[in-house]
Amino acid sequence: MTTAYMMDYEFKMKTQNERIKVEDLFDYEGCKVGRGTYGHVYKGRRKDGSDKKDYALKQIEGTGLSMSACREIALLRELKHPNVINLIRVFLSHNDRKVWLLFDFAEHDLWHIIKFHRAAKANKKPVLVPKGMVKSLLYQILDGIHYLHSNWVLHRDLKPANILVMGEGPERGRVKIADMGFARLFNAPLKPLADLDPVVVTFWYRAPELLLGARHYTKAIDIWAIGCIFAELLTSEPIFHCRQEDIKTSNPYHHDQLDRIFNVMGFPHEKDWEDIKKMPEHPTLLKDFKKNNYVNCSLVKYMDRHKIKPDSKAFHLLQKLLLMDPNKRITSEQAMQDPYFQEEPLPTQDVFAGCPIPYPKREFLTDDDQEEKNDNKRQNQQQQQTQNNQQSQQQNQQNNQGNQQSNQDNHNPAKRVRLSAPQGHPSQVNQQQMPISQQQQEFHQQQMMYNNGQQQQQNFQQRF
Amino acid sequence: MSGNFWQSSHHQQWLLDKQDLIRERQHDLSILAEDEYQKIFIFFASVIQTLGEQLKLRQQVIATATVYFKRFYARNSLKTIDPLLLAPTCIFLASKVEEFGVISNSRLITTCQNVIKNKFSYAYTQEFPYRTNHILECEFYLLENLDCCLIVYQPYRPLLQLVQDLGHEEQLLTLAWRIVNDSLRTDVCLLYPPYQIAIGCLQIACVILQKDHKSWFAELNVDIEKIQEIARYIINLFELWKTYDEKKEIQGLLAKMPKPKAAPQR
Repeated sequence: MTTAYMMDYEFKMKTQNERIKVEDLFDYEGCKVGRGTYGHVYKGRRKDGSDKKDYALKQIEGTGLSMSACREIALLRELKHPNVINLIRVFLSHNDRKVWLLFDFAEHDLWHIIKFHRAAKANKKPVLVPKGMVKSLLYQILDGIHYLHSNWVLHRDLKPANILVMGEGPERGRVKIADMGFARLFNAPLKPLADLDPVVVTFWYRAPELLLGARHYTKAIDIWAIGCIFAELLTSEPIFHCRQEDIKTSNPYHHDQLDRIFNVMGFPHEKDWEDIKKMPEHPTLLKDFKKNNYVNCSLVKYMDRHKIKPDSKAFHLLQKLLLMDPNKRITSEQAMQDPYFQEEPLPTQDVFAGCPIPYPKREFLTDDDQEEKNDNKRQNQQQQQTQNNQQSQQQNQQNNQGNQQSNQDNHNPAKRVRLSAPQGHPSQVNQQQMPISQQQQEFHQQQMMYNNGQQQQQNFQQRF
Repeated sequence: MSGNFWQSSHHQQWLLDKQDLIRERQHDLSILAEDEYQKIFIFFASVIQTLGEQLKLRQQVIATATVYFKRFYARNSLKTIDPLLLAPTCIFLASKVEEFGVISNSRLITTCQNVIKNKFSYAYTQEFPYRTNHILECEFYLLENLDCCLIVYQPYRPLLQLVQDLGHEEQLLTLAWRIVNDSLRTDVCLLYPPYQIAIGCLQIACVILQKDHKSWFAELNVDIEKIQEIARYIINLFELWKTYDEKKEIQGLLAKMPKPKAAPQR
């Protein structure tokens, strides 16, 4: 046998010449709008000007085709629904082995929207939004998830940052569910789901059964996350906010997160959740928790404190989404039929219902941001002196919220072990690749800023 | 993604027309006779199957890899990429898509080396010549040529449902399942939707086991002509196997097969 050539030269040349490169088709240099564990996202325009639309170009982290990149491409290639992000095309860059995904650009997302509301609330300058906005958002989230679920796709990582909202344009105010990188088919799991990724959902949005060691993801787990997002939209506060030290533990059991859930919901009675006995971590639960500690807790009281009346239709639906027993939790289909959506104001396709959009556009990130962090030591002092304008404050808030669990650790930064890995989304500024020492420096830097007489609002934001 | 075959890329892009298939193969069929061409694909389906079994992959993953392989050569000549490289590349990609988990590069190469040495020495006298970097490069070409259509619907699930509906017969299911595996050695996965393939395979299994389910088949709302076509492909395969000794013939066929050419010498 003569030496085999793996690939025909002529074939290679032909495909090379036909292949269209992302940089030939799009202008995006200097237009980075997000970075994180998922990679980098740029806002791009077509070079040939054949349309004036904005596009999101996601350069997947690392090189080649990771399993999550494969899943993302495989699933998005098949999915088509107005409330699910649309993959327009894939670019494979053979030279540097980078994978690029092209999407429509979504100007907003719930993480930024909620953050904006929280800031406004703290400033006592409430944002003017259409009355039905939260309802429209929820309806479209449910619609998208219903589509995914009926196609046997679980999202598994629903959180505000993954819910995008389109800005001005033909799809104005439309929800797009994004970040399916970890989504998986679930009708015939080839491997027990828990074996693949130790921890997937950000703890705040994790259903109690996951925290108690459930081995398989279900539709009900996505529904719980939607309930959490709904509550957060209603109150501007993450309902199951919890301090977290190490998110990527392989142990699903998380005492503090469960404690937080029980503090809001009350401790689950066996009559309400019969199968709780069967949960792998049930013995640990009995050992660690006393139900007497939660006798005065209920969702009614929690939401009432946040001015959501227990007799409102919104509350009734929330209660059905946030049922502790996954078997009793409402389905997306049932939820869409809920009386809440039949009551005025009716949900609208444009969640902003034609009103002006009060939220800022995405800001471009400069590569300096990264260098700044790396050069933190050197620039630390200088920055503190110069950072007195609003922009730098914003930047700092953003940084801080990117690693959400850093909050409440203010008194003891040394305790912070690891930053969260927002699976996210274009909008999130993520510092997670930074060494711990640098994170702490940055943290100190922020602290000093607050001591330097920032408004109280910042502290509030800081805590979130 | 089992909910929606009709909207899938499989249905919309990858159910090919038989005439197109013949046209695309013109180059290869000017060098190889039609049965020789098929024998080469039978051989590589076995390579993929054996690799998959050695890697302890599920049949679903193996079947998806085989379909990738067949889709690639449905659009390209055998000479474009050495099928001995494309076969493990298909396994590698399918295992990620089907969420088996990533097979480590070294394990994949070692398995290829062992399988070629221990199971296919009658075809290859030299050791497996490729390394990880070849597989990774090939993977990009594969993904491009598949037009990123990675979700493949297989006949196994519809088959299970059909057999259940028939009043679960273990023997029938086992045989029909094996016939579905065999069908990967034909073009049916490129030409017919998986539920039709499942019915075709089940029908052959009934004939072999002399089970009379005619009235049940009659009640299925399917295009009987298509089912007959599928059955014909598979029966032809069985006929071919009767007189074909792969161990004797394959070296000659692989030698005859069109192969990649290097850059022209200057």
